[in-house]
Amino acid sequence: MSQVQSKPEGQPFPGRENLRLRIEARIRKLERASGNGLWSMVCFLLVSFAAYKGFSFLPELSVEMRRLLGAPPPAEMISLALVVYAFSGIVRTLARMSRNIKPYLGLMHAAFFTAFYLFYHLSGALQDNFWAVFFAGISVMGLENYYLWTHSNAALHKERELLESMQEKSTDE
Amino acid sequence: MLSSINSRAIVPVACAVTGFVIACCVLLFTFVKADLIRGEVQHAADLADTVIKSTRYAMLHDDRATLSNIISSIGEQKQVEHVRIFNKKGLIMFSPDQAELNNFIDKSAAGCNECHAEEKPKNRLGTMAQARQYTNKKGKDVLAITAPIYNETECSNATCHFHTSEQSLLGTLDIGVSQDPLKQTLGQLQNRMIVFSGMILILTVGAVCALLYRQVFLPIKQLADFTEAPVNDRLSDELPEVSGDIARLAKSFQEMTDRVHELEAKASSGQKDAS
Repeated sequence: MSQVQSKPEGQPFPGRENLRLRIEARIRKLERASGNGLWSMVCFLLVSFAAYKGFSFLPELSVEMRRLLGAPPPAEMISLALVVYAFSGIVRTLARMSRNIKPYLGLMHAAFFTAFYLFYHLSGALQDNFWAVFFAGISVMGLENYYLWTHSNAALHKERELLESMQEKSTDE
Repeated sequence: MLSSINSRAIVPVACAVTGFVIACCVLLFTFVKADLIRGEVQHAADLADTVIKSTRYAMLHDDRATLSNIISSIGEQKQVEHVRIFNKKGLIMFSPDQAELNNFIDKSAAGCNECHAEEKPKNRLGTMAQARQYTNKKGKDVLAITAPIYNETECSNATCHFHTSEQSLLGTLDIGVSQDPLKQTLGQLQNRMIVFSGMILILTVGAVCALLYRQVFLPIKQLADFTEAPVNDRLSDELPEVSGDIARLAKSFQEMTDRVHELEAKASSGQKDAS
């Protein structure tokens, strides 16, 4: 019933070789994705370090620039937004974990928490609220990265097993 | 596998709860601190208002001796770090500190530059803008209020002195109170919040860990031990008591082992019959 594909002596099946290359590409992609999560965490930690120093390397905003930007939002509003963002971020990550949906890379979270640092800095309330942003960021991004890491590891494990079984089959043949 | 389930269940919960609770506690502390400082500023503003109202009669009658006496008495209070009245030009007219009398104050200093930042000084400021926090020469943290003394009809109509009705501001009262009691309260609040958050964290993470261990990991471990045991030992053992989905799994496994027992018994009786 099934057609047997003939192959030249000592050469693998072209379809199987194709599949092997595809699996290897997927493994590389997963390894890259796992690393990207770490990069976003490193970015966040670097921004946090700069924020801890009060963004001293940034030039002072001129009066003109401040007038152009308008009045900064009140620190209470930024704090409220931070709590809502951290809470929804954690809930969304936990929901994705329970439904096994592909995780984010975490770069979006790093960008949002950087924005929180900047808003507090412009409002003149960064010193009081630095640790709140830092711990909110660590918890949201830590959870996201943990999920990304476990998700990628599980997928990598599956792909490597597939690759190994393919190699075993080809050596048997 | 068990350690993997352990870490997969506990690490995300511990990470999410710990980070979120700490972030919320820091924000709550910041809110409470801002509220307390606002209250303290209001208290200092009320104190400044009381001083101005108390000295009003002496000012209207140009009674400098009584005014000086009132200012000196206020300055003797424990929490009052400084109190002074200076005229529109910034010359200090009344102060318990004799060294600063008849000296000009620095208009670029904190507390003055809110009004004097621009070429034309502002006439009125809100309560919060009148307040400033700084560390004085003695190394004490001070919350100071500058309250303007405005011209009133009684002032410009008074026969005793020279203020015209065009002058809107006659002088300013500057009063500074020590922030030590506020700092002490904030320190106590901070310590209590740290203890409280620590207890919440331990309880939450501990409860999740204990429940997971009791309801999931322990039954799975017992099942795993049971299935990994040698076949002969396993068949003679009864499964441990478990509940929920794990109980269904255990029941299926028990039924399977019973069936194996039956088949074994049938097979051995068949052998006996044959012999």
